[in-house]
Amino acid sequence: MAKSDPEGVTDGANRSRIDDGSHGEELRADGPATAIDVDGLELVYSDGTAAVRGIDMAIPEGEFFGFLGPNGAGKTTTIKVFATLLSPTAGTVSVNGFDVRSESRKVRQSIGYMAQETSIDPELTAAENIRFACEAYGVSRGKRAARVSELLDLVDLADVADKRAEEFSGGMKKRLDAATALVHRPPLVFLDEPTTGLDPKARNRLWEYFRRINDLGTTIFLTTQYLEEADQLCERLAVILDGEIVADGSPADLKHEVGGEVLEVELEGGPAVRNRAATLAREFDAFATASVTETEAGISVTAETARQHGTDLLVALRDAELTVTGFNIRAPTLDDVFLAITGEELDTDEGEVPR
Amino acid sequence: MSTPSADDSRGPTGRPASGNTFLGDVWVNFKRWNLKAVRNPFVLVVSLVQPIIFLVLFTQVFGNVAGSAVNQGLPGVSYETYLLPAIAIQVALASAITSGVGLVNDIENGMFEKVLVTPMNRTAVFLGKTAAELFRIAVQIVIILGLGILLGAEIVTGLVGALGIVAVGILFSLWFVAFSNGLAIITRDQESTIIAANLLQFPLLFLSSAFLPLATLPDWIQTFARVNPVTYGVDAARSLMLDRDVMTVIDISWFGGTLDGVVPGLLVLIGLDLVLGAIAVSLLSRASSSDVK
Repeated sequence: MAKSDPEGVTDGANRSRIDDGSHGEELRADGPATAIDVDGLELVYSDGTAAVRGIDMAIPEGEFFGFLGPNGAGKTTTIKVFATLLSPTAGTVSVNGFDVRSESRKVRQSIGYMAQETSIDPELTAAENIRFACEAYGVSRGKRAARVSELLDLVDLADVADKRAEEFSGGMKKRLDAATALVHRPPLVFLDEPTTGLDPKARNRLWEYFRRINDLGTTIFLTTQYLEEADQLCERLAVILDGEIVADGSPADLKHEVGGEVLEVELEGGPAVRNRAATLAREFDAFATASVTETEAGISVTAETARQHGTDLLVALRDAELTVTGFNIRAPTLDDVFLAITGEELDTDEGEVPR
Repeated sequence: MSTPSADDSRGPTGRPASGNTFLGDVWVNFKRWNLKAVRNPFVLVVSLVQPIIFLVLFTQVFGNVAGSAVNQGLPGVSYETYLLPAIAIQVALASAITSGVGLVNDIENGMFEKVLVTPMNRTAVFLGKTAAELFRIAVQIVIILGLGILLGAEIVTGLVGALGIVAVGILFSLWFVAFSNGLAIITRDQESTIIAANLLQFPLLFLSSAFLPLATLPDWIQTFARVNPVTYGVDAARSLMLDRDVMTVIDISWFGGTLDGVVPGLLVLIGLDLVLGAIAVSLLSRASSSDVK
């Protein structure tokens, strides 16, 4: 049925939308459609803190985009500018073709936004929370009941639809929050660290759910602390550091840029031993461009030739009378990418994440 | 609605695609806050319990003593009748505090920001919330008036007077609603808002014409009572209750009757509502603006 969705956000002038009853295909006359277009974005807080310092990015419709960076790098500030909660100090941002400054209400109509802190009304039931969101986003009266039960099913809260949200676990609250961000079937959804603080099971469940809505054509802009999450979900990533984008590309591209493979060596002995081993590895001829770091149990060497010459290094370490207790050669992960780019590790511990 | 075209931005009723209208947005928020009021025992009960305790205890404990003090100026008026309009104002005061508390809770649980990201009109959002609170205050005053009548108070002006007292109570509550919202935005903390508003409640009530005729109170209290909004609210409500001009702090004779006691009080309250309302609105719009802070 080629029926247009009255809730589908269409500005009439330059876009029209065919909705097959689910998340429809966007049709645009003017070439490939861009969900978010950012040009020279800067944001300076009134205390002088420059949270974002000149960002340019273009995110095509339908993409699953990941935005990474350590705490305080400017992730949340950026996402709040996109969601019209903060006005840019300089630069232009257009979201779904609307300017965030001059057409902020149209932007708000056309996006879903899930804040970092779980935002639900604990005094209302799950169904009431979603119904309120339906009404707030102007979902027509006739569609509300169906939308509420459809979203409750999607996030597996149908059983507790009439329970008050204050009784829910953290994971259930997050899922309810996610559902309320989707009531108007926005073509673009912002998720600001949606799985922070969730147990792995709850996290997997949300991932599955985000993949599902992305498969239906929804553009997703995700910030996350968990590199595994970005690796699993995102087609493209950007890394922000001190308010500037320092790397972007697909997870595979970024891993490739790390430069080769990672050799991890475990050593017997204390910091002095690790330090000596690291010095040896840096001076090792076969690893001219290697980056060497000391880890908790030994050293880690990243080099193009790690696989070919890894054993040579082990021999060299033995000759220096260091005791190797274990070793492993592996492909780089996003953690390695992150370490290489930012010089610091993202806290990827399960559960508690210091903020 | 069968072919996609530029017109599809309009729904079947011809409204914009978002379906948001100003009145619709007011209604959505009005419903939400009423639902929350029914769910939250603090909001409904606590703001009623204290005034009820005052009404029962004051009339039973002080009734005889206070009654004779009242009778010196107002012969034949029972203390129940004298006190009831003051308790109605107390309800308005106590209940208005919960408006700010609701706002703080919304800020704390993220709903404030969540609502800002929706396409709802922001004025409509706060109008809906305030309307729900005023509606609740009206219901609570009606309950208190009913209870007072059961205890022996008499509204001389009957049903019209009772509705008038509800209206005075609502006008009175507005400035305190604005005040508690201002506190909420400035402190952004539930405890601070409750404590600050509650600390003010008792001095305001006792240092006014609420519980005893001003003439029987010390000079310093009389001086304070002149600038105390509670005096204006209570005297206006009491004039309606007794059907005579008992306004103690402004003496006019424009109408020659009960209205001389009601109108000046209302004018003062309206002025106060506008001033504090404007402050609260500007604080609210600053808190909800996207300008970098």
